Amino acid sequence: MTQVISVALDAISTSLVLALVAMGLAVVFGLVRVINMGHGAMLALGAYITWTLAQHGLPFFVSVIVSALLVGVIGLLFEVVLIRHFYDKQFETLLITWAFYLVATQLIKVFWGTDLHSVANPIRGTFTIGGAVIGRYVAVVSLVSLLLFASAGWVMYRTSVGIRVRAMIQNREMAMMLGVRASAMYRAIFALGAMLAGLAGGLISPMFSVEPDMGTLWLVRSFFVVTVGGLGSLVGGTLIGSALMGGMTTLVSLVAQQVFAQTVVFALAVIALRFRPAGILGKKAA
Amino acid sequence: MTISSPRGFDRRSFLRSSAFAALGASAAVPLLGACAPQSSSKNASGGKSDPIKVGVISPLSGAWTVYGKAHIAGFKLAVDEINAAGGTLGRKWEIVQADSQTQPQVVTEQANRLIREENVAFLAGTFSSAERNAAGPVVTAADKLLLYPTFYEGQSQKYYPGVCNPNIFMFGPEPSEQVWPHMDYIVKKHGGKFFMVGSDYVWPRETNRLTKQKLTELGGKVVGEVYIPFNTPQYGSVLSQIKKSGADVIFLSLTGSDTVNFRRQLAAAGMKKDFIVWTVDDEEAATSGIGPEATAGDYVSFDYFWSIDTPNNAAFRKKVRAASGNVLMDTVGVAMYNAAHMAAKAIELAGDVSTDGIREKLGGMTFDKAPQGSITMRAEDHQAVLPSYLVKVRPNWTGTDDMFEVVHKVASVTPSAAACTDLPLKAK
Repeated sequence: MTQVISVALDAISTSLVLALVAMGLAVVFGLVRVINMGHGAMLALGAYITWTLAQHGLPFFVSVIVSALLVGVIGLLFEVVLIRHFYDKQFETLLITWAFYLVATQLIKVFWGTDLHSVANPIRGTFTIGGAVIGRYVAVVSLVSLLLFASAGWVMYRTSVGIRVRAMIQNREMAMMLGVRASAMYRAIFALGAMLAGLAGGLISPMFSVEPDMGTLWLVRSFFVVTVGGLGSLVGGTLIGSALMGGMTTLVSLVAQQVFAQTVVFALAVIALRFRPAGILGKKAA
Repeated sequence: MTISSPRGFDRRSFLRSSAFAALGASAAVPLLGACAPQSSSKNASGGKSDPIKVGVISPLSGAWTVYGKAHIAGFKLAVDEINAAGGTLGRKWEIVQADSQTQPQVVTEQANRLIREENVAFLAGTFSSAERNAAGPVVTAADKLLLYPTFYEGQSQKYYPGVCNPNIFMFGPEPSEQVWPHMDYIVKKHGGKFFMVGSDYVWPRETNRLTKQKLTELGGKVVGEVYIPFNTPQYGSVLSQIKKSGADVIFLSLTGSDTVNFRRQLAAAGMKKDFIVWTVDDEEAATSGIGPEATAGDYVSFDYFWSIDTPNNAAFRKKVRAASGNVLMDTVGVAMYNAAHMAAKAIELAGDVSTDGIREKLGGMTFDKAPQGSITMRAEDHQAVLPSYLVKVRPNWTGTDDMFEVVHKVASVTPSAAACTDLPLKAK
């Protein structure tokens, strides 16, 4: 029994952390159709700013929030200066955001150097659920991830903002004719996506290595999460995508080598996309 | 540390690079013929007062940048010392630097460039096994030497010309030097049940194979063996496997950010009190990146640590501080330092700058001034005979000075003989 609980906890926490990391990408990709290749660099920026602020004695969670806001501002500027001119050109945005990734990563190297950094674990220790041990901090991050998705769901389906966003996804021209201010909304969504990436980067920094290229670790996985889960299905899609990419790896590696487990999971993802090209929960793009 | 060479990759990059070398060689003949009059004065063995040009290939960008600083700083420091003392045979040294970008195909290009365009006398560096294997065919075709600094998997004929190559000298430790000398100590103290976690390529697999062999002799056994694909961020499932394995020791050969992520998550899961960690990858730079909390009490083994207390190292530390400020010097940087000094001595002894001369004099040479203690380059298989240290990470360390405490050392380890078909290695 303990074994089952332990595996379940592993799978759930792995999925939720992955979902948290992918959330910013899902927001931008799903809602404004920009493939944000710069997502990885935004994660890294979040982690580096958190590290810097924590080094200067700011409490960890304050550092995380400040860095999320700062990365959000960076995202906002990026949108205003470049992205807004290219919303209808998916290939161009792909190149521009990739350029952002390269430039931001180099700037990180210039400002912070190439040494590895570490952020001290702010909530040490473990606790036990049904005999299974789980780290306190991992549990907190998983809960934050759940909360974020719950509030995203609430905003999308229970508020007028959500109605407008969904209207935009379904039919942009019609929504604009009905008075939705598309450019302001796109800007806000892009900045929000950047902010979520910064937040995720800050929150995972005590668990992972803080280095200039840390974003590349997550970029491919995040893309799979978003495409497999379903474009435009922000909450359910991202959670299902993460459960497949993260949770399945945990389950398969119970009986097989890691290398094999990861291969199986990526293969499953490709098969899922073959039969559900718009993602498991995705509807046909409008 | 050695990276990224699943077997297929080696073969492919070998084929690619040998094709490249052949192409380069055939293209170079008419070219050299055409400009022979001018180029003769720029030749490597050059005039009496021309500088001796040395090509250094370091990982200055890409995934392994973190190891690149010590890599190049170690060599530069030695060259500065050599030049301050008047050079070699009255000629100053000049470093021609190249960035491997941590990519084997870039190493092939750069090695060709350094040899053909810059006319360097020999090459030093490359970092991972894959990088060294990419340089192997180039130095063989051009008959230049490569001085290789990294801890690696040992020599075995099937990886020729990356190893077992008369044109390559190994200044870093292999598993029988880095791991074997300390196994008895660990097994007696903590038990013989090992759980092995490594990155999925040749260095961890070979290191684990050799470690397993020795462990069986000592009466221990391997209770789990897991290989992790590069750039895996999350380790929940591996941690639960370890938990139920009943292991005494987690034997780690993960590399780069993977080792950082694994060890931080191991600590966060509260598992450090139940298991002993022994890593053969995480030198000063990587340990710094993991932080004190997740490393306290863990074991690391290498031929050199910044904090070892020897007269040679005290002098060396002073020089590093003066020359390059806060570089985290490590086993790789020190190997580069030793390589430069030993090559200088070999040139002095040979009386000229030639591949054959350096090779002959380097084989069997002992260097007493090495920071880790006296070291010898074994003539037979070009493997350095080195000291070996096992250190324990101090709790609450603040920097490299108080990071490691030496708990076991062997002043000089004779490595196992290389598994090459033609020993001793000599020019064809």
